[in-house]
Amino acid sequence: MADALTAYDPIRLEVFKHFFAAIAEEMGAVLCKASYSPNIKERRDFSCALFDTQGQMVAQAAHIPVHLGSMPLSVAAAISKFPNLVPGDMVILNDPYLGGTHLPDITLVTPVFSAVPSQAQLLGFVASRAHHADVGGITPGSMPISSEIFQEGLIIPPVKLAQAGQMNQSVLDLLLANVRTPQERLGDLWAQVAANQRGVQRLQEAVAHYGTTEIFQSMQALLAYTERMTRRLLQTLPDGTYSFADALDSDGFSDQPVPIQVSITIRGEQAVVDFTGSAPQQKGSINAVYAITLSAVYYVFRCLIGLDVPNNNGCLAPIQVIAPEGSVVNARHPSPVAGGNVETSQRIVDVLIGALAQACPHLAPAASQGTMNNLTIGGWDPRQHKPFAYYETVGGGMGARPYADGPSALHSHMTNTLNTPVEALEYAYPLRVRCYAIRRGSGGNGCWRGGDGIRRDLELLTDAQATILSERRQTRPYGLSGGEPGLPGENVLIRGGVETPLPGKGSIQLQSGDILSLRTPGGGGHGGNQ
Amino acid sequence: MVAKNASSGLRIGVDIGGTFTDFVIYEPHNGRLQTFKVLSTPGDPAQAVLEGLRRLPEAARADIIHGSTVATNALLERKGAVTALITTRGFRDVLQIGRQNRSSLYDWSADPPPPLVPTDLRLEVDERVDHTGSVIHALEIQKLDDLLPTLQQAGVASVAICLLFSFLYPDHEKVLAAELRRLGFFVSPSCEVLPTYREYERTSTTCVNAYVTPILDNYLTHLQTALPQARLNVMQSNGGMISLAEARRSGVRCILSGPAGGVVAAQQLAQMAVPTDQGDLRLITFDMGGTSTDVSLIHNKPTFTSDAVVGGCPIAIPILDIHTIGAGGGSIASADLGGALRVGPQSAGAEPGPACYGRGTLPTVTDANLVLGRMLPEYFLGGQMPLNPERSHVALQELGQQLGLDAIRTALGVIEVVNAHMERALRVISVERGHDPREFTLFSFGGAGGLHAADLARRLSIPRVLISPLASTLSAYGMLAADVAKDYTQTVMLPGDSPIPEIEATLAPLVAQAQADLLAEGLPLEHIQVTCALDMRYRGQSFELTIPFTSQPSADFHAAHQRAYGYQQHQSPTELVSLRVRAVGLVKPPHFTQAARKDSDPSPAYLAHYPVAYASGKRSIPFYRGEALQPGNRLPSPAAVIRSDTIILIGAADTAEVDEYLNLLITLGSETI
Repeated sequence: MADALTAYDPIRLEVFKHFFAAIAEEMGAVLCKASYSPNIKERRDFSCALFDTQGQMVAQAAHIPVHLGSMPLSVAAAISKFPNLVPGDMVILNDPYLGGTHLPDITLVTPVFSAVPSQAQLLGFVASRAHHADVGGITPGSMPISSEIFQEGLIIPPVKLAQAGQMNQSVLDLLLANVRTPQERLGDLWAQVAANQRGVQRLQEAVAHYGTTEIFQSMQALLAYTERMTRRLLQTLPDGTYSFADALDSDGFSDQPVPIQVSITIRGEQAVVDFTGSAPQQKGSINAVYAITLSAVYYVFRCLIGLDVPNNNGCLAPIQVIAPEGSVVNARHPSPVAGGNVETSQRIVDVLIGALAQACPHLAPAASQGTMNNLTIGGWDPRQHKPFAYYETVGGGMGARPYADGPSALHSHMTNTLNTPVEALEYAYPLRVRCYAIRRGSGGNGCWRGGDGIRRDLELLTDAQATILSERRQTRPYGLSGGEPGLPGENVLIRGGVETPLPGKGSIQLQSGDILSLRTPGGGGHGGNQ
Repeated sequence: MVAKNASSGLRIGVDIGGTFTDFVIYEPHNGRLQTFKVLSTPGDPAQAVLEGLRRLPEAARADIIHGSTVATNALLERKGAVTALITTRGFRDVLQIGRQNRSSLYDWSADPPPPLVPTDLRLEVDERVDHTGSVIHALEIQKLDDLLPTLQQAGVASVAICLLFSFLYPDHEKVLAAELRRLGFFVSPSCEVLPTYREYERTSTTCVNAYVTPILDNYLTHLQTALPQARLNVMQSNGGMISLAEARRSGVRCILSGPAGGVVAAQQLAQMAVPTDQGDLRLITFDMGGTSTDVSLIHNKPTFTSDAVVGGCPIAIPILDIHTIGAGGGSIASADLGGALRVGPQSAGAEPGPACYGRGTLPTVTDANLVLGRMLPEYFLGGQMPLNPERSHVALQELGQQLGLDAIRTALGVIEVVNAHMERALRVISVERGHDPREFTLFSFGGAGGLHAADLARRLSIPRVLISPLASTLSAYGMLAADVAKDYTQTVMLPGDSPIPEIEATLAPLVAQAQADLLAEGLPLEHIQVTCALDMRYRGQSFELTIPFTSQPSADFHAAHQRAYGYQQHQSPTELVSLRVRAVGLVKPPHFTQAARKDSDPSPAYLAHYPVAYASGKRSIPFYRGEALQPGNRLPSPAAVIRSDTIILIGAADTAEVDEYLNLLITLGSETI
């Protein structure tokens, strides 16, 4: 073990781990407090992170897992487009093909330079990403069932939102002219700016206190530390190749399932994760860009490591990810991608866990609900005389563990957003919640039961357009070791007391008085019934 | 009820801790203050309280202000009353679903805490009110009869009621409550506990009240029966006390009773001792104990929060914002697989305790302090419990072998890492909330605080550390320094530009209630202060800022938003979400007389020189006996002050002196050794 304990001091390692994590968390606290929209403030759909001068992520606050592997690609895209950033610059982007994930996720990247103006030495980067409730496109909420990315909203390639300390008003004007709720967007963007500024200030202070040498060394030591932790994990897994396949229900245009396949090869302290055999990219908006796939891989291995290690690039260093270009797990421009981030990412996690369950059956849970049940409702709010755009995701059942039942009614794996409180929702939108309940009996049977899903019924108080982007309405969350799969989800329209099933993905014009009922999937069971 | 009519005049503050129950006795007529400790009796906490009070013949007729962990423990250990919950039809699972997020992102083995009320005791009634407070579906009260068998069969003692939008239209809850009370249940309707919006947080707070109050009630009844002539008051989590009668109705208000005492005491004691900048009192309180550390921030007033979570349950009533981390003297140090030295979160607790206590074998923060010579084994707890440094040395040596370090270097590392934990906690309450630590004084108390306070202050550029002579009985002292205080909140959802008379009219019933409640506590009108504040936001936002109520709420809000978040949106409409009223009944705190400063020479208190290990090597430093120090004494640096309850370490570049109130004031220098 002595050789693993490299040059860097085990004590400083732990001290700086806390220090950098505290910077990312403080940025998150600023963003949450200063933001404007319920989506960020109530649901906490955002992440903040700190990077070294090469754009390697050093620390991410524990916010949203799907942002994990993808934030470094945002910084890489910003550096690649603007290799000569200067103090006071700030890059904004959401282009999934240039550092983004899907269009509602807007990322701000700020380079950090030393506070001494005479020596503008680059110290690193800070970035914040927030899911904005609307970025234009064909449906309110910008999570459409689309066939090309241009329908999904405004595409922002990496551009400078600020240049040498001056806000670029033209970029801001262009952006706000293309969204349905500009006031709210502006408030949220300001919150992101404030978060990044706080990160800049903290890193500058750290350098003033410890010196650049110590800060740079500690960043590299933390990357190496997380890498060591991953290597040790891989070493404990038996060598071999583990394969698993599952499928998405459909792309929203055809009824055909969309297979996702993975083979994980463990050799000593390295792993190759190969998605060859997965479906080609699809017409509908379930395509994942590479950043999403990377995030899913990252998430699963991060969970297996199990300890409180920093969230940084070191985790992926011993893992090679092969995702064929042009496939549903590495889509090419201009494929639509709104659902790749929220839905396909969950299925990628499912196949990864399914494969790893063969290598570490005592750790891996059965499949969780495998969807985020995205619901957007938008239209004209007659009460406030203005347009509204409501976005929500709904939790479900988690998979049973080899040692315990799966928890019910929670968000699983790649997301962890909060719900909008009923009383906040009814106050803000022309909607009424009729029922918010655990969907009992939806978890799969087994020695350990899968967690139950949720039932959430919304009554429309005005005519509006609703878009549902959901999964596991046909395929079911798998059980493990003989456990039964969880019940698939159901989307139901209740009009005049009559229930009509709705497809898993689709957009529908609703009338005042209609009730939209989402019933989310249960988790898979574990082990044969006793 | 408070001091005014007390027969014996004696005022006694009592704080029940995990190990000791502390007593502080104050005699207002002569200003005498005495303290003592009795071993706690966790099975029946009243035993220790009564045992301590028996030592004081006058206690039978004294004013006793009491910090109670009874409600806290009932919640943390899930030993509350059998509780049922009644909700609007369709929403009984809100309590379990919570906010649908999981607490650990990367831990598949984590389970959410079980809901306080199990599924089969969460019942629904037909009724519905909308967001304007209009009834859409009238309450079908006759159906309550169908629910009663369930309550009776399960032996339910306590019922929480939380209906949607009851903060706008409380009648349905009131009707249900009246009926259930008539049937003999203890009832907590959310419109009485917390009439504010966000159903999950309100339901959770209401259920906590229903769950803990009967337990607290039993305990207080027991005490009152044993002390029929004493006047009992209870400390609340908001730093104010309430009468026994009030506490018996609202246990949720007493959840963080003990720690609140510490914060109140810090504020009152520091007001006398700390030089204030432009009249501002800025303190960071730091209470490091065996298993956990509590920190909080005071800027003239303590900081409050409505987002507290205790034992997995959100508690949305305003309480003192005390941030707790699981690191203390008993935290266990270990090496992880990646070769980092970790401290905590596991703690050796009191059993088996740190290795040096003689039973445990794992190295703790206390063992590290002992190995470094920062503690003297023979003086621990005034010599009552000698420590075994050899065991500490062995434990640290074994840990060091895994890290490639010797025992001393490992011990230094343990201190550095635990300080990093505590630095992070101090950052959360200061820099993360926009306060600059350079303007603050670190007020350190708790048994383990003095060994770490100066180092921590240096890390955060806090210029000054203050350690009170009451450090280890501070919470109990805080009970004596507390005013009577009650908070009232009501969600109203009005436009921010509503005419002032309209806002005043909505405030009027709350103000009247506040005054009536404080008069009922026995306070004369001239001692009652009522302040009003407004929770405001931009329409469309979902979090509010609390601003004092003046004649121009919107302008105040824009300015507050600018200060808090760095921007404002003048053109956006504002919203008045909730009203807040705080009623304070002023109580005269203990008065301290300044002792005259004497000689600056501390030699009469000098004990001996002992070797202490630093990163730069061993160095012999003088130790002083804290109890023998006199006002005006200036200590050399580095030095250590050893007291029966704590040890205080003074760095090489620091200066330390004893003030007129026997506080030790350390002014930090920049260097360490």
